[in-house]
Amino acid sequence: MTALLDPLLASHGSFGFNLDPFETNIINLAIVIAGLWKFLPGFLGSILERRRTAILADLGDAEDRLTTAGAALAQAQRELAEAQQKAAQIRSDGEARAQAIRLDSERRTVEEMVRVKQGAASDLSTEAARVTQQLRREAARLAIEKALAELPGRLDGAAQSSLLDQSIANLGAS
Amino acid sequence: MVPLPLALPFAALEVGQHLYWQVGNVKIHGQIFLSSWVVIGALLTFVVLGSRKLDRDPRGLQNLLEYLWGYIRDIARDYIGEKAYRDWLPFIGTLFLFIFVSNWGGALIPWKLIHLPSGELGAPTADINTTIALALLVSLAYFYAGLSRKGFRYFEYYVEPTPIMLPFKIVEDFTKPLSLSFRLFGNILADELVVAVLAFLVPLIVPLPVMFLGLFTSAIQALIFATLAAYYIGEAVHESHH
Repeated sequence: MTALLDPLLASHGSFGFNLDPFETNIINLAIVIAGLWKFLPGFLGSILERRRTAILADLGDAEDRLTTAGAALAQAQRELAEAQQKAAQIRSDGEARAQAIRLDSERRTVEEMVRVKQGAASDLSTEAARVTQQLRREAARLAIEKALAELPGRLDGAAQSSLLDQSIANLGAS
Repeated sequence: MVPLPLALPFAALEVGQHLYWQVGNVKIHGQIFLSSWVVIGALLTFVVLGSRKLDRDPRGLQNLLEYLWGYIRDIARDYIGEKAYRDWLPFIGTLFLFIFVSNWGGALIPWKLIHLPSGELGAPTADINTTIALALLVSLAYFYAGLSRKGFRYFEYYVEPTPIMLPFKIVEDFTKPLSLSFRLFGNILADELVVAVLAFLVPLIVPLPVMFLGLFTSAIQALIFATLAAYYIGEAVHESHH
């Protein structure tokens, strides 16, 4: 095949330049390229410029949002720290109050217990005194009844006079 | 391709002439490789320059690159779907950018200044081999997309919504690359031919409207190719049950 082709190629000459302006259509091409050169950059450029402005605006927006969000974050963190401080404060206050309430109630319980004990003791002694009193009174009453019962039998004239004498003697002695 | 015997009344117009390179047993179209390398080089330079100094403030090339990326992302997301489009974004983007720059390069770069031993330089997409290669890549891509995502359940797609669709769906697998490649090839070659014929008949001013129209259709063809590729991949990965 190569042997067949070689004379064909040779007959057409070799690589080179063809500078004939009509054969190469160079004038029309130049006009077309010039037209494109004139209008394409404007057309494409306006599209690209719009795109670029939109992107830059988006980027600016995003950066603004980032700044805002950063500020909000810092603010929130500050508030969190404050709230934590406040929480710690409230906690310690609460613990102190709980301690105080515990101590107070302990003290009050102890006092109450003491009071109850004292009350019980005093009640006991009062009761004992009352019972003693009652027993005494009962004994006296029984003795008087017994004496009154025995009295008519034993109270004769001699005894009466001796008693009277004795009472007078007692009066005189006193 | 065999050079076509062309019976047009003008002689300077070369159609079907190619600069053949012999690689092993294969004859390849050298002029397509040369212009493809230029296109690939231009794209690589553009991307490397544009992504070299990335800044938060998108300026110049970076802005243009990001804009293109967003445009391609929108195509891919619209047609492939939210779930799978990230895997296929590079593929769709490569297709779109390569075809677009090929088409516009073919229409704008004064290729004819360079004289080749045979054939002439032009848009790589004006050659059927390039577009068939691209279309077959799309076919491979959507088969791979469907099989890798759904396994053998991918073939359920052939009998949905009814098994009657089976022959049509099988035929579709052949017509998809066919229509993709012929649409792109035909449009770009026709555009180049119309410009060449008009320039041959009336060298000045008259070809200008067609040249501008060619720029427009070139861009549309790149968009159509990328969109259809995305649509085919999206069809393959689409889950109809959920």
